[in-house]
Amino acid sequence: MITLTSLPLAEADQEFLDKVIAQRGGRPGALLGILGKAQDHQPRKFLPRETLEYIAAKTDTPLARIFSVVTFYALFNLEPQGKNTICICRGTACHTRGSRELLESLMFKLGFHDPDDEMADKISLNTNDGKYTIRTVACFGQCALAPVVEVNHEVYGHMNEQTLQRELEHLGRETAKK
Amino acid sequence: MAKLLPFRPRIAVGMGTCGTGNGSEGVYHAFADAIDKRGLDIHLARVGCFGFCAQEPLVNVWLPGRPLVILHRVQSQHVDEILDDVMMGNIPTALALCKIEEWDHITAQVKYGTGYANIPSWRDIPFFKGQKKIVLRNCGLINPDDVEEYIAVGGYQSLYNVLIDNRPDVVIEQIKAAKLRGRGGAGFSTGQKWDFLRKAVAEKKFIICNADEGDPGAYMNRNEIESDPHSLLEGMLIAGFLTGATMGIIYVRAEYPLAVHRLERAIEQAKEYGLLGEDILGRGFNFNIELVEGAGAFVCGEETALINSLEGFAGRPRPRPPFPAQKGLWGFPTNINNVETWYNVAPIIARGPAWFTETGSAKSPGTKVFSLVGKVHNTGLVEMPLGTPLKTFVYDIGEGGVGGRAIKSVQTGGPSGGCIPHEMFDTPVDYESLAQLGSIMGSGGMVVMDEDNCMVDVARYFIEFTNSESCGKCVPCRVGLDKSLRILNRITSGAGRMQHMETLEELSRYIRDSSLCGLGQSAPNPVVSTLKSFAEEYRAHIEDHKCPAGVCGVQPVGETA
Repeated sequence: MITLTSLPLAEADQEFLDKVIAQRGGRPGALLGILGKAQDHQPRKFLPRETLEYIAAKTDTPLARIFSVVTFYALFNLEPQGKNTICICRGTACHTRGSRELLESLMFKLGFHDPDDEMADKISLNTNDGKYTIRTVACFGQCALAPVVEVNHEVYGHMNEQTLQRELEHLGRETAKK
Repeated sequence: MAKLLPFRPRIAVGMGTCGTGNGSEGVYHAFADAIDKRGLDIHLARVGCFGFCAQEPLVNVWLPGRPLVILHRVQSQHVDEILDDVMMGNIPTALALCKIEEWDHITAQVKYGTGYANIPSWRDIPFFKGQKKIVLRNCGLINPDDVEEYIAVGGYQSLYNVLIDNRPDVVIEQIKAAKLRGRGGAGFSTGQKWDFLRKAVAEKKFIICNADEGDPGAYMNRNEIESDPHSLLEGMLIAGFLTGATMGIIYVRAEYPLAVHRLERAIEQAKEYGLLGEDILGRGFNFNIELVEGAGAFVCGEETALINSLEGFAGRPRPRPPFPAQKGLWGFPTNINNVETWYNVAPIIARGPAWFTETGSAKSPGTKVFSLVGKVHNTGLVEMPLGTPLKTFVYDIGEGGVGGRAIKSVQTGGPSGGCIPHEMFDTPVDYESLAQLGSIMGSGGMVVMDEDNCMVDVARYFIEFTNSESCGKCVPCRVGLDKSLRILNRITSGAGRMQHMETLEELSRYIRDSSLCGLGQSAPNPVVSTLKSFAEEYRAHIEDHKCPAGVCGVQPVGETA
């Protein structure tokens, strides 16, 4: 049952979702598309509960099914994402060229010191200060450039700990400026 | 044709994702700025990827009447020098990788010209030697964002002929006679699948292109779509007409933004040119193609999971039968083919089944595109006749290990495949031979491993992957992979025992025999194949607490662990 405590959506957001739903409703892959657009529309790239409830009501889909879809696919987030997203490719070519070490060192640097608990294949971790999100992806398909790291949607090939560290420092300075 | 062979020099920058990852965006803009500033009469274009990823950014330079020359590792600082040369009617020889005098686009031939005795022909470069480009016939040579260039090399000609002839039965027989098999890995006869759909009677029928290329270490489909999206549309349009399908759907990975973008553009252009939509080419045939982006779930590459995903559910597989050809999307008959399968359609129709079966092996004619990556000297996309021995890939095309290091194994088929040891490199690469070795050809990933790679770690890596991608619907896959992963974790951390090897084998058998879908049924392959060929590495971890490759952090632990 939808609880009454959640906040209603702002009117502009409702209009946006109405438009997206009108465009895609009934077509193959409609729900994935609607959820994707809704998440992109959010500045912090996530799907708040009120958005899910609104989509459920408007598309006549049970909220439970929407929740099942959102939690099934790796691309959807239920929590606000950091200002910077660093995504480490865990594809086979990247793995054979040391992406696991890159991931571990990145997690350590950003304060996730207990890798045993958090070390899973699919990772989506947010730092407490909201500055960073660490993610992994199964494969970017850029295997010839392995190991590959994507920083704020830009792909960097042939990464190592030094170049990643430099990138982090650069991001730190940029984020401080804003 | 005036765009491909203009009356002035043409410079084309390779702008696939690999190219842009290596800085081709900057190179393109440097060319554009310099040409603009100097007011030069040069045709500048963007093309897809020619496949030699290790040498990116690649730039094609063509002077009227001369061969097309491919320059490699071009950086922005080379731009002025290249333009100086081109305006003098010269080729910057120092950057030249190879030349192309004429090119067989299969659907048309292009003669670029002759000359440049000191630049090797593309066929004489080890990486390209023996390659036969049927699927990749246009990749890296035409502008993927320009339908006119596709049409100039014979694009949509096959569709036109099929529509004019209007004998769908005959054409389906041709596809059957060509023995085209599904390039997603299962290898089912494409012609037969289409025949099922054609014979199905229903109010609606769907055809789907599976572009949810999820195998880590494989990116053939990404490049095919990025470099030549119209070939895919043409293949689907032809199948749509032959089978009486009412709609086509391309399910593409969201991790491939450039591929999505190029497809959107191609669909738009095809509609503008009357090649898609209502009354196609004036022959009264209506067909639309929808683009759907996935959302990051490996299992959606399985056809019934993909259908669930399209219907707005979590992407969990359904039991088969009923097969999608009987009851697919929303209960209607549906045919699903992999990206690469569609790319073979127009060539078969253009040149006939007898031409197609000339290449490859008797049971598996044609070619297959592989992504050759990992610890190998030359990395990139390689299109070879089916049945080519594995050693040709590794030692001739790939030119051996990085820095001369010894190669230990090749992993084929992604998480569903296995590791083929060095001793077996004579094996021909086709559906049956690899399956006999406990691996699969799969969608075409080939990851080369050398002595610095630990095979137990590789098995652990894949089980970690399939375990986290398991949809959780059936017990053998959900629980079995979790147990396998725990055991492998113990072995790689030094807490393994000898009986673990037997337990792993037993578990693998259960998972393989009783899982619902292909993900589970093939998930144990990496474990089984490494247990078989690299048992001594497992033993070294368990008995000696040593990782021979120095990858695993093995620590001696007492019996109680």
